[in-house]
Amino acid sequence: MDAEKFLHFAEFDLQIIALSVFAILYAIKAWTIARLPMTWENAPAKGSPGAGVAASYAATVVPWMMSSSTQHWTRWLEFGLYHIGAGLAILSTFTLPFTPDLMTKPVRIVFAIFVALALVVGAIRLRRRFADPTLRIISTPDDYFSLAAVEVFFFLTFMTLVVDTDGWRLAYFLVTAAFLFYVPFSKISHYVYWFFARVLMGVRYGRRGVEPRSGGTR
Amino acid sequence: MSQQNDALKAALQELDKRYNKTIGVASSNLCTRCGWCVDQCHYYLATKDPSISPVAKAERIRRVYKRHHDWMSRIFPFWTGARELTEAELDEWVEIAFRNCTLCDRCMANCPLAVDTAQILGAARGVLLAAGKAPEMLVQLADAALAREENLDFFKEFFLEQLKDLEVEIQDRLGDDKASIPVEVEGAKFLYVPLSGAHTITPPATVFNAVGESWTISMFEAANYATYIGDTAKAKKITQRILTEAERLHVEEIILPECGHAYAAMRWEAPKWFGGPLPFRVRSILEVLDEYVREGRLSLNPANNPEPVTLHDSCNLGRKGGLFEEPRRVVRAAAEDFREMTPNRERAFCCGAGSGLVAMPEWEDMRLKAGGPKADQVRATGASVVIASCDNCRHQFTELDEHYDLNVKVMGLTELVVQAMVPAA
Repeated sequence: MDAEKFLHFAEFDLQIIALSVFAILYAIKAWTIARLPMTWENAPAKGSPGAGVAASYAATVVPWMMSSSTQHWTRWLEFGLYHIGAGLAILSTFTLPFTPDLMTKPVRIVFAIFVALALVVGAIRLRRRFADPTLRIISTPDDYFSLAAVEVFFFLTFMTLVVDTDGWRLAYFLVTAAFLFYVPFSKISHYVYWFFARVLMGVRYGRRGVEPRSGGTR
Repeated sequence: MSQQNDALKAALQELDKRYNKTIGVASSNLCTRCGWCVDQCHYYLATKDPSISPVAKAERIRRVYKRHHDWMSRIFPFWTGARELTEAELDEWVEIAFRNCTLCDRCMANCPLAVDTAQILGAARGVLLAAGKAPEMLVQLADAALAREENLDFFKEFFLEQLKDLEVEIQDRLGDDKASIPVEVEGAKFLYVPLSGAHTITPPATVFNAVGESWTISMFEAANYATYIGDTAKAKKITQRILTEAERLHVEEIILPECGHAYAAMRWEAPKWFGGPLPFRVRSILEVLDEYVREGRLSLNPANNPEPVTLHDSCNLGRKGGLFEEPRRVVRAAAEDFREMTPNRERAFCCGAGSGLVAMPEWEDMRLKAGGPKADQVRATGASVVIASCDNCRHQFTELDEHYDLNVKVMGLTELVVQAMVPAA
């Protein structure tokens, strides 16, 4: 297989294979969780479970809804930048091969800025995990590896967005595919469970009238 | 050796039995070990010991669950820190689940991923009970509630005698010799279920008499210690005694005293145990007092309580029960100088004595230490009265007062209301 054909394979066929495996594994995860037994709240409600779920999701992104965000706003900012960067990096894996017309120079620059910021935040997070004794005692090899792997992914995304030579592009798509195979087995899959966790918390707190939060003094 | 194996076998079975959606999600890869929960926990703030941060505590349990349910952990346990459950591990869980966590929910409320650490540690409590490793004192307290039902005639005679003495106090307070503590009244509107101790009988009885409420007192106590040890079967039996009594007396509502866990258990958890809503409306005395205040049925004079007053949000009544504004409206009506503690409402910290810890004398040191952040918050208000509408919190604040030299008086909300009641003309 010559270089051009291999790049094409990595950009299209390999991505589709990796995405299919990824989707199947996630579907199995979601199905496994969905079929577990559960006794839902069934006492007469004081509040609304729907409002509780909405507030529960909002708490993740609204900085003043949790003391942990308000007390450490820089950490919340890091969290936001990291996930925006991650979202754009993931989006790029689709837009670069499948909708190249959308990836104009200004779009690439905007994407690259956010991915670069996420790369910096990732480095801070990785350093903190090694340096902070509180984090160190709870960290597993998967924690370090996942953070480092995402850093590699961000770096290659950035280089592909900015430089976009065949070499960077090939490395980017090969790493993306490897990433897609690994993610369902690692802690990076936390976002799948996040959807469930927020519903479980929101329904309980909503019915009990705890959410939406009354805005207690911080 | 065989006994050890039996304990481990029972623990593993219980671990599996408790693997529901909540535990399944919370023990999955949901937690990224970001550490946001660490300084949201009163234990960590008081000790700065990272091994008792919420994430560290939950990880100990989670890693055993992962060993059985997570793909990567099954194949490469070292990669995720997954571990097998052993007798030694179970022994360590006792302190993790019963001593180093009050299941206050504050970590979940402040977790960007909503990891339900209290549920994980609650499940660990159930596992320890199955393995015969739950604290004996808590098991005995749960059994005592059932023993009362089995020997009701003996308790009843003694209880009725006590009530007679309390009636005299109420009559003196109200200047009304007809004031009473009604017993076994069929068709009464409320069945009020007290705790053991006159402080949960006299003040509510005084208020009920003052407003002319239709009520009767329960022969049982509202406390349900079985919930602390994760013994759902026993918790259900303890609740059933009160339900049977309420059915027999044809009351409309069950009113619970100023007790956090009794409220959370009967108002929110019991319908799950019984498979549907209870046949009675269940309310806390806090909601009833609020109703009296809002409807103008109680004449209160805040000048009777001139000292600065602060209010503690019990975790079971607040973050787990949704009662935030009800007690506040009552305090504002009953006291001249109400000062909010910071943080408060759903952001409030646990007093450090929740989930049965107050009943464990061997862990008193840790309990008082964990109450340190709360003591600081009380001091910052400058209040000389702390309202604690949960008996465990009340006990803890009384000890925190002494331990940290706070110089405060600790009382229940109903007592504050009674003090504010305008004497009969």
